[in-house]
Amino acid sequence: MTVDELDPVIHASARLKITATLATLPVGDQIAFPRLQELLGMTAGNLSTHLRKLEDAGYVDVVKSHQGRSPVTYLALSRTGRRAFEDYREALRGLLGESA
Amino acid sequence: MTNRTPDTDEPLGDPRTTLALLEAQQRQVLNAQQTPVIWMYFIWGVTWLVGFLALWSGDVDGNPWFTIPAYVATPLFIVMLVASIVASAVLGVRINRGVRGASVFSGAVYGLSWTACGTAFAVLGTGLISQGLSPELANLYFPAAYALMCGTIYLGGAALWRDISQLVLGLVLLAVGAASSFAGSPGNDLVLAIGVGGAFLTAAVTLQVRRRSGR
Repeated sequence: MTVDELDPVIHASARLKITATLATLPVGDQIAFPRLQELLGMTAGNLSTHLRKLEDAGYVDVVKSHQGRSPVTYLALSRTGRRAFEDYREALRGLLGESA
Repeated sequence: MTNRTPDTDEPLGDPRTTLALLEAQQRQVLNAQQTPVIWMYFIWGVTWLVGFLALWSGDVDGNPWFTIPAYVATPLFIVMLVASIVASAVLGVRINRGVRGASVFSGAVYGLSWTACGTAFAVLGTGLISQGLSPELANLYFPAAYALMCGTIYLGGAALWRDISQLVLGLVLLAVGAASSFAGSPGNDLVLAIGVGGAFLTAAVTLQVRRRSGR
């Protein structure tokens, strides 16, 4: 395994931070877009762009919902996304010679 | 798999920097969840310490150095107690805000357990008084009951979230709450002020120091 072989969907600054943040949620939980944005300190536009990329890869589940009359988007890692993130972290540790 | 959007993300450096970025981001998220908990431990630590020292100093048989008039000590204790309950409710809601799903039920039951247990212990105490419990024994019962309640619920929290700070805090509160009755009244107020107040403040400081050192 080399750095070039790391999952390109996750191996980029913003998407790594997004997947790392979503991975802290217990399985079965979803986080609202504004709260995720707050935890990441990203602009809404930038976050949306990278979330779409993660969604296209099947790594993030996006659920549109309503709170009263306001629409809220909830996000979570999909099963594929969680596995990809764990594989990515293992691959990084492997490259550094650390065991899991 | 489709990649319709252009990739505007910044490329990452070597694996060590990347892993550090990943871990720093996860630590930041956990810190954001932990901040309200540290505040709660701090607030309750001050309330138990100052509130029960005030009650102990408000009793003529208590503080040997000075006495606070009871009409000051008791309202001070009540105001601090109510303020802490309100602050806990506000902070408690912030811990998991913006999150929904499986863990919400656990959090809601945990939150409800404070209200339900608090009410049950108050009703039991009132019932005991109606059956002839003396004011001296009521002064032993109520604070000990609430220390035991906090200890028990923290053990539940420790089990739910695998949280060592709640486990240690819970065990200390159970020990101090149970032992406080042997000090009699108003000595129990001093035991609870130092034991329970000290345990909360130690927990707050420990968590703060641990996050500063990045553990």
